Amino acid sequence: MTDTKKEQHDISRRQLIKRAGLLAGTGVAAGLTGFPYINRLAVRAQDAPLKFWQFYAPGGQVSSQVEWFTQMIADWNDSHDQKVELEYVPNAEYINGPKLATSFASGEGPDVFLISPGDFLRYYNGGVLQDLTPHIDDATKTDFPESVIANRMVDGKIYGIPMEVEPMAMYYSVKAFEEAGLNENDVPKTWDELLEVAKKLTTPNRYGVLFETQPGYYQNFTWYPFLWQGGGEFQAKDGKSAFDSPATVQALKFWQDAVKSGAAPRQVLGNGANDTIANLAAGYCAVQNVGIWGISQLAGNAKDFEYGVFRLPTPANGKYVTVGGGWAFVANAKGKNPDAAAQFCAWALASMDKGSVQRVADWCTKAKSDMPPRNSALKAGGDAFEKGNIGAFAKNIHPGTRAEPRVPPEVYKIISDAIQQTQLGGADPQQTATAASQQLDAFLASYSGAPIL
Amino acid sequence: MMDMGTKTSHRRPAAQKGLSAKHREWIAGYLFVAPDAIGLLLFLGLPMALSLLLAVYEVNGFGGYRFFGMANFVRMANDPLFWSAARVTALYAAILVPLLYVCGLGLALLVQKTNRFNAVMRSMFFAPHMVSLVVVALVWQFMVVDKIGVINKLTPFLGIEGISFLGDPQFALLTVVFVSVWFLMGFYMLIFLGGLQDIPREYYEAATIDGAGPIACFWYITLPLLKPTSFFVIMVSMVAAVAGSQAFDIIYVMTKGGPANSTSVLIVYIYQQAFAFGAFGYAAAMSSILVVVLMLVTAIFFVMTKGGRFNYE
Repeated sequence: MTDTKKEQHDISRRQLIKRAGLLAGTGVAAGLTGFPYINRLAVRAQDAPLKFWQFYAPGGQVSSQVEWFTQMIADWNDSHDQKVELEYVPNAEYINGPKLATSFASGEGPDVFLISPGDFLRYYNGGVLQDLTPHIDDATKTDFPESVIANRMVDGKIYGIPMEVEPMAMYYSVKAFEEAGLNENDVPKTWDELLEVAKKLTTPNRYGVLFETQPGYYQNFTWYPFLWQGGGEFQAKDGKSAFDSPATVQALKFWQDAVKSGAAPRQVLGNGANDTIANLAAGYCAVQNVGIWGISQLAGNAKDFEYGVFRLPTPANGKYVTVGGGWAFVANAKGKNPDAAAQFCAWALASMDKGSVQRVADWCTKAKSDMPPRNSALKAGGDAFEKGNIGAFAKNIHPGTRAEPRVPPEVYKIISDAIQQTQLGGADPQQTATAASQQLDAFLASYSGAPIL
Repeated sequence: MMDMGTKTSHRRPAAQKGLSAKHREWIAGYLFVAPDAIGLLLFLGLPMALSLLLAVYEVNGFGGYRFFGMANFVRMANDPLFWSAARVTALYAAILVPLLYVCGLGLALLVQKTNRFNAVMRSMFFAPHMVSLVVVALVWQFMVVDKIGVINKLTPFLGIEGISFLGDPQFALLTVVFVSVWFLMGFYMLIFLGGLQDIPREYYEAATIDGAGPIACFWYITLPLLKPTSFFVIMVSMVAAVAGSQAFDIIYVMTKGGPANSTSVLIVYIYQQAFAFGAFGYAAAMSSILVVVLMLVTAIFFVMTKGGRFNYE
């Protein structure tokens, strides 16, 4: 018996090695031949809740925003069979990080997620944005101003529902103004005045004015209004580049002059120029170019800091315009249940139901400090949009808001490089604009995605 | 005992088939390394092969693949940002590798004698290597910040004022190199310490008796006998400079490749193409070229040094 067992054992060991080799070879071969379908092998439970990726809850640091998201999900789950679950992705991971990109690349993208106009085309052209239009009634469609919803639409269909409008403005420190012998009457109205005031506000420990210096979508977003104020565009109506223009050159030169004069820094603190606490409230700068969200930042983290807001100064020959960003709910067309995900987005932000309207108003007044993307929410917010600095935004700053452009990554990069080369690299604005325009033309000639707006 | 007989009788057929003891030993050797080799093949070789395959596809980042032939490589050849990143990478490596060599060896020479003070110093020099790279980058970013950073508060005493270490393209890469050296030099100090301790003391004693001073000892004994260690340090630091995690982490956290692409090394540019723009195919093509160039340079080093074997005759 022993002999027999041993013999069987020896034989099976060899067979084991052979079979292991065969298995490994088959695995490698299958891997190679299965490519590129490997990433489509994901199996999902049909009854699992829909995943909603965002950077507010449940792990966010602003309790009012956590509560808003949590309450919204609880309300939906109480009344619907298809449940939704919040998944928190830290801001740095979400906006410029790899998490969202790799999740879609591996076929594991979230069912509902947030995107900004800057990223819209990438996801739309990738075919992962679900049409939300069937779930939005006509009355609600007209409740969104054209300027707010247009850059989330393609061919008349809505692919994203904005939750906020975030116009850019200038914030100033009252203390810094007083130290420099200035007051609110000295608030600059033109670019030249801004540079003059900024020089007066500059000290050995403080910069007079701060613009974004880090390359990225956000820097482009903050620079666009300076381009538009002089009548500039990056794309003409005929689809060709319009970047090589006097307006582009003067906008590039304006930021360059601010840095060259020593009144603006080459480096920003904290999370970047969107961070009022690390820059303005900390005394690193006296005037900061930042959006409406700065109000809630300062209210939550620097309650005693005295500040004022004023609208973006304009060039001598220009007209006032600012840019309005803001995030939108979108549904994954390749998700587990795209129709339910789309229904959720519409239920949350785009229904004439009182709860939906109030939810948008609450987000913009209680959870955050934003302008609402819907006329009904503006009314529902009542006097919250008339008081203090939000009132200043509603009255003086927001009326000149133009929606953040949606551009493919290639266009973003060309514009970003032009800003960086002139602002920090000291390159000639005219030559830079001309070179960037040629690159834009080369790209636009072969671009075949949804319209760039 | 019965088993022994069974084994003997069982192995005979193998010998009859012509498998000599040498062959059996050869097979056994390969079987011993097989688990490790299979692991490497599956978790390193296969991803590399797939990455190479990805380079000939257009990948939109949303599950869409289209065979693209050599188009990604053609795009690379015509992409000024790729060549700019290649130049920055070469510059970064050209400054970092010699500096790391000098600093690592210098520190090792300083603390090579074994005593309590040197033990503490060794720990201190190695300490930065124990800290997370992201933390290192964030702390240094804060220290060199314009106007209010500690470094900018100290430099006026040296007659240097108003430098933006990370905001000026002239200084940003040098600042990043400095932080990289600060982080890595402790590690290379340890490697050099190992090499120094392998040099027999008798050589120094004999040279001293013959009248050689410290410089002569270093030049004619230490440096030549450190050739294998130097070879290793140069090879490893070069790979670290081109594709190391410190190159990516420090640069990504401190500058994100800016200002004006002045610190955009290839791995940062590859990351940007893959994860910011979703151009996974193009990123894979650049990665493949980077690996090939690194392998070529490594091969040249090996040929020049006959595989790292040095003749001291």
